[in-house]
Amino acid sequence: MKNFNKTSMLIIALLGVGSFVPLLLDDYWIHVAIIGLFYVIMASSWNLLAGYTGQVSFAHAAFAGIGAYISGILSIYLNISPMITILIGSAIAAILGFGLGFLCLRMGGIYLSLTTLGFSEIVRLIITNEYEITRGTMGLEVPSLLGFYSKTSYYYIMFAVAILVIIFLNKLVKSDLGLAFKSVLNDELAASSCGVDTIRVRVVAFTISSSIAGLAGGLYGHYLLLITPDIPSLGQMFMVLAMTIIGGMGTLSGPVIGALFLQVLSEYIRVFGKIHLLLFGLIALLVARFAPEGIVGLFKTVFKTKNLLKFLKQAQ
Amino acid sequence: MSSFFMYLFNGIVIGTNYALSALGVSLILGAMNVMNFAHGEFYIFAGYFSYFFSRSLGFNPFIAMLLSVGLVFLMGLLTERTLIRSTYGNLMNSLIITFILSIVLQNAALIIFGPYPNKPPSWVRGSTNLLNLFYYSNQRLLSLIASILLLIIFFIVMKKTWFGKIVRAVSQDREIASLMGVNYYKVNAFSFGLGVALAGAAGVILSPIFPVTPIGGLSVGLTAIVVIVLGGMGSFKGCVVGGLMLGIIENMGVAYISSGYRDIFGFIILILVLLFKPSGLFGETIK
Repeated sequence: MKNFNKTSMLIIALLGVGSFVPLLLDDYWIHVAIIGLFYVIMASSWNLLAGYTGQVSFAHAAFAGIGAYISGILSIYLNISPMITILIGSAIAAILGFGLGFLCLRMGGIYLSLTTLGFSEIVRLIITNEYEITRGTMGLEVPSLLGFYSKTSYYYIMFAVAILVIIFLNKLVKSDLGLAFKSVLNDELAASSCGVDTIRVRVVAFTISSSIAGLAGGLYGHYLLLITPDIPSLGQMFMVLAMTIIGGMGTLSGPVIGALFLQVLSEYIRVFGKIHLLLFGLIALLVARFAPEGIVGLFKTVFKTKNLLKFLKQAQ
Repeated sequence: MSSFFMYLFNGIVIGTNYALSALGVSLILGAMNVMNFAHGEFYIFAGYFSYFFSRSLGFNPFIAMLLSVGLVFLMGLLTERTLIRSTYGNLMNSLIITFILSIVLQNAALIIFGPYPNKPPSWVRGSTNLLNLFYYSNQRLLSLIASILLLIIFFIVMKKTWFGKIVRAVSQDREIASLMGVNYYKVNAFSFGLGVALAGAAGVILSPIFPVTPIGGLSVGLTAIVVIVLGGMGSFKGCVVGGLMLGIIENMGVAYISSGYRDIFGFIILILVLLFKPSGLFGETIK
């Protein structure tokens, strides 16, 4: 019951703050907020995989790229409304995720990490090389989701999707399937001896997380209006990973906090030029080395110590 | 026909280099149970060091190469001490930490060495007529010989010396090895240093032919991964056979199919291996 209260508090807080953001910020910061929300969706869904089942996928950005490009290409060449093509892009990301997961997860987690790293590079390579369709590094111009361009309305769409994804992930993690996820993370052998089909559980987690990445990529592409092979790059993948690690892996609020924190930070260090990847890398290394539970973990420790001190005082 | 032999020979030259670099990953994985994703970045750093010592400071190319590999070895020891040691026994943590490290090193290289491809000087000039079929650059031949020599030395060290025995003991059974009085931490630190030094050696050998760029590390690292999956994880012999196979297949593919898709051949091999023989040619699957 305590957990339920905490997550609903998180969601209510997000809703409360998030709804008024467009009223308080100028156009530029609304743009920053939209990108931040994209990262919130990406980091939260990656966290489902890494934080809850212990599988490290390096293809999350690649799946976002697949979502963005499939949706963009269908809406341009076949003239279908982006509202529909985004869903198709997400479905194709799910299918590819299922195939890749099915192929690698039979052999244990490390094969998934290795293969997804290769897969991610291949996706970028194909998009760059097939420039007749994708226009390569020049970037593909795609139609906007709504047919007209409005940052505020796009913000609300992204915000609604982010909230829905977080609620969905919350329900999923608390469900029986979520329990199976955690059992696979903690002790695979014990889980399988208790009748959990560990491979199936992992493939399901990987498919769900890939499809959410595809959805996020589609939304992102139709907001940017110009999609480049930068979306499925490993640099982007690193951002998602760093946000989750810095925020706190294996918690629902961690990726949200990490994504917003790094997104705002990157706006402030923009003046120093192109060092933000290096800086984020160093922060992420420090966090992964000294505070593996991230910002959320640090807060929890501080909170616990305070409570302990209080308790000790009362005891005296 | 002569062009076919030339592509084959190119494949062998690159393949022995792949084998050298993959042995480093395999050594680290076997001895420490750590997957090093930053392997390619050490290769790139060695290439840049070699360029820096020989071109900017004017050292003899061979001294520059030795210094670069030594420097990369020290970088490896430092990395092991500061970052890797805390992840022992947790493969996923090591994956994450070395992935972040690879991004950090890549961006550091971009800032320190600039975005341009750089090339240390060639060791020799000219070319030799091979079997009356084609002319082949002397530099490539020497690189091949250097790689083969290092491979032979590596296998002798692993089979005959005390260090090699310890490493094999540790990779077979950690607890028993430490019960027998093996200092686990020292072996690990040294293995990591040696593993990345192998990447460094591959880097200094190949960089006079193929210039190094800050972002080139990824493809080196991916290649090493494909080689160890193809050869079988934990098998040194597999690295050599896998490296040669991949080198030849890639060069044939580039020559006869498409040059834009160099890296895709490796990936196709990876998928095929996973589908039909997940344990690779000589290895066992690891969890």
